[in-house]
Amino acid sequence: MNMVQAINSTLDMKMAADDSIILLGEDIGKDGGVFRVTDGLQSKYGQQRVIDTPLTELGIVGMAIGMAVYGLKPVPEIQFQDFIYTAMDQIINQMAKMRYRTAGKITVPLVLRTPYGGGIRGGLYHSQSGESYFVHTAGLTVVTPSNPYDAKGLLSASLDLGDPVIFLEPKKLYRFQKMDVPDEDYKVQIGKARKVREGDSITIITYGSMVPTVAAVVEKNKVDADVIDLITLSPLDIDAISASVKKTGRVMIVHEAPRTLGMGAEISAMISERMIEYLYAPILRVTGPDTPFPYRLEDTYLPNEKRIMDAVDKLLKFR
Amino acid sequence: MTEVINEQVEKEKHIRGFGAMILSRTLDKKIITAQRQGRVGFYTPTMGQEAAQIGLSMALSKDDLLYEYYRDVPMMLHRGVPLEIILNQVFGNRDDLAKGRQMPSHLVARDYNFMSVPSPVATNLPLAVGTAFAKVYRHEPGIVVASFGDGSSSTPDFHSAMNMAAVFNLPVLFFCENNGLAISLPVEKQTKTEIWKKAEAYGMAGFKADGNNMVEMYKVAQQAVDHVRSGKGPALLEARCFRMGPHSTSDDPTKYESDIVQDGSDRDPIVVTQNALKAMGLINDQLVDKVKSESVRIVNEKFDQQEKIPAPDPETMFQDIYKNETWIIKEEKGEIL
Repeated sequence: MNMVQAINSTLDMKMAADDSIILLGEDIGKDGGVFRVTDGLQSKYGQQRVIDTPLTELGIVGMAIGMAVYGLKPVPEIQFQDFIYTAMDQIINQMAKMRYRTAGKITVPLVLRTPYGGGIRGGLYHSQSGESYFVHTAGLTVVTPSNPYDAKGLLSASLDLGDPVIFLEPKKLYRFQKMDVPDEDYKVQIGKARKVREGDSITIITYGSMVPTVAAVVEKNKVDADVIDLITLSPLDIDAISASVKKTGRVMIVHEAPRTLGMGAEISAMISERMIEYLYAPILRVTGPDTPFPYRLEDTYLPNEKRIMDAVDKLLKFR
Repeated sequence: MTEVINEQVEKEKHIRGFGAMILSRTLDKKIITAQRQGRVGFYTPTMGQEAAQIGLSMALSKDDLLYEYYRDVPMMLHRGVPLEIILNQVFGNRDDLAKGRQMPSHLVARDYNFMSVPSPVATNLPLAVGTAFAKVYRHEPGIVVASFGDGSSSTPDFHSAMNMAAVFNLPVLFFCENNGLAISLPVEKQTKTEIWKKAEAYGMAGFKADGNNMVEMYKVAQQAVDHVRSGKGPALLEARCFRMGPHSTSDDPTKYESDIVQDGSDRDPIVVTQNALKAMGLINDQLVDKVKSESVRIVNEKFDQQEKIPAPDPETMFQDIYKNETWIIKEEKGEIL
């Protein structure tokens, strides 16, 4: 199945087992969501469990928090991550801080799903990669799968975590590949990265939509690269990063989000602080530029084979 | 027989409400003075809003949940939150239920059905809608009250929450404590309509009450609570009251307000309520004096007692961020402590 089907079937499986799981969002019920991720769930579970809400992102998130603090396990959907900003007050000041400000007496077990990133010709407001906003906030767990198998296991783990999870779905990969996904419940552990392929010369750290891009580029160009799919953006899997960097001594980070204060900035700072003596070359970042996301020039914006290979060459040649 | 008992219950309810008003006022004055003496860091006084809050609280039941805002100490006292809990929070000491993390006036009292309060105003309102949904979904009794000031009526959270509560027909009572000022901005400059009238536009019932008179407030609050409790959907209850003090102890209201209601003056809700209860024959001067002196004694005693409790252990700063401590927090804790 593809990623949309994997997420849909996971929600279905979890909802069948646990009546505290409630879905809410815009057009998610009758319409099944604009990407059809929740297709068929309202007819199966009813309007009380798959709620078509008024058009208010802050209302959706605030209402979900109010459910979560009172024993339910809501899964709010924000139609596009680009639309989430009116809910940022709710996310940063309510969702992320509830456990802390009540010393654990009130908690917010929920999974906020939202499609993010480019690749569908969405222009400025249907393509953003805002992961840094969430990663910067204590109290949030931030994850992003890059294939159908991980999507299922990660969503299952997120629903069982007991804390608020920002579940970022790379919309470019929604129907990108089909995989065998087990019927039974299984978990992809939060906080653990996955090795996409083994190599000894260079470490490429990436996540989300860039995972298949990077994998294809290194395959095609026969780069001896260790490729890491972070899967969890907060908290980062420093052990996986360390092991690879100490092996190769040459590192690059690839992501779609703008470069300034993106994930690459944090990861390179972490590497510099803890293992600079292992490095043979500067840490490089191949990322989206610090511009808004353009409509027609999407392919120019997104990291591509040329930019990735230029960075690979630079790293390997550095003396 | 039942009527006689009910009458007696109602009488006692009024006397108890008035007692909570006095206790709250006494505590308020004590904390304000202590702040000036450098014994307390900060406080948002509640003077002037006692009758509004307690009048509503009298109409609520134990099952009802409250999304309070930072000026709701009178309501908390009336619902039985002990002085110790309130004072521990004000001092941010080791015994504070939230480990001294929030500035004073931001209480946690989950055991008393208060859902805790953040500083950004009106962000509690959408949560009230979600919790009301959860209560209905679980077939639990009780309504959800979300309180806020007049300034909150301008926020998108107010709009979203009012709209959603009405669309989903949920048992939420939106309780606006209109004290006429949002820090320095008078309500006339906040909004062009009376706040309670906004209810109609959302498709819910609206109520306006004299929040300076506990007896009158209670009557209207009971109607609003009954409406919500009966399953007819949410309601908006606006209580007109005064902010007799500054916005906070960091604020000087004389800069923007020339007509501040003075403690003990004719417009003071304690004086108004006291006169009303006297006219009803429920209290006399002797009882008032007794309640006042007893409040002063107990507040002074508890204040001195809780003030002695030391600050929280520095380690607590790093707790309760996630269910399971992350390696990052562990590492940062190691660096700092």
